[in-house]
Amino acid sequence: MDPRLTAPQARDHIEMVDRILAESHPRLCSGGEFFVLWGVISAYITVLSELVARAALPKPVLWTIPAVLAAGAIFSIVRGAQTRRRVARTSLVQREFFNVLWLTLGLAFVVDIAAFRIFPGLASAAIWSVAEAIVLLFIGMHGNRRAQLAGVIVVVSLVAANFLASNLAAYVLAAGMLGGYAGFGLSELAARD
Amino acid sequence: MDELLLSKVRLGVVAALLNYDWVAFSELTRSVDATAGNLGAHLLKLVEAGYVDEEKSFVNRRPLTRYRLTKRGRSAFAAHVSQLQALLKAVR
Repeated sequence: MDPRLTAPQARDHIEMVDRILAESHPRLCSGGEFFVLWGVISAYITVLSELVARAALPKPVLWTIPAVLAAGAIFSIVRGAQTRRRVARTSLVQREFFNVLWLTLGLAFVVDIAAFRIFPGLASAAIWSVAEAIVLLFIGMHGNRRAQLAGVIVVVSLVAANFLASNLAAYVLAAGMLGGYAGFGLSELAARD
Repeated sequence: MDELLLSKVRLGVVAALLNYDWVAFSELTRSVDATAGNLGAHLLKLVEAGYVDEEKSFVNRRPLTRYRLTKRGRSAFAAHVSQLQALLKAVR
């Protein structure tokens, strides 16, 4: 037996550790504003591309896409840095969530920009829907029921877009992005207040 | 056993940091139920031993000090708790 600590002291220490660990339930804070922003941006790009493809809008309006993406990226980076500095506690689950978020959306972004020949037109929009569904269902895995529902909405929009008439597919995908991704963001913002 | 973690406050601090990436000083005082002065002294020892990282910044002109458990601190905690459990098992 260690002479520096008696058995009752050791029991007392173990009980304290158990109490502290039981009290520390890291909650996942998803940051609703990011979801609203990227849900709206992805829906905007999807609808705009569809309208241009159907000649309802002139091609030059596509130049708004890089501007919107850049603005969204700048906002996300600045806001993310501000949030990280302010929080009193950041859980390991939270860090893992941000890793999943940036990896998934980052990959979708790269594929969208660099693999446009493999994923033309609606396939590009569908990639964003898949990425969004992964992020939402990851949050849902940590007990957020709104995220589970939102993830299902995005997946259902993907499947529906596949089976509905081709002239509706883009709008169904965009509706999934707005209802699922941006909608989840709004619900998180409402729950925060 | 780990000499540093024989202190109940220091052991409590490490336990409170276990599930978190960064935790503010004010949050730690609540978790381990210690006064600011007492906790500050214990945290200094943990930082000096390399068990805990310290980050000082200003948010809205107010100072914010946050702490994070290092790999070394995590390993030391796991080993120390195992030894505590072994001690309790031995006396049963």
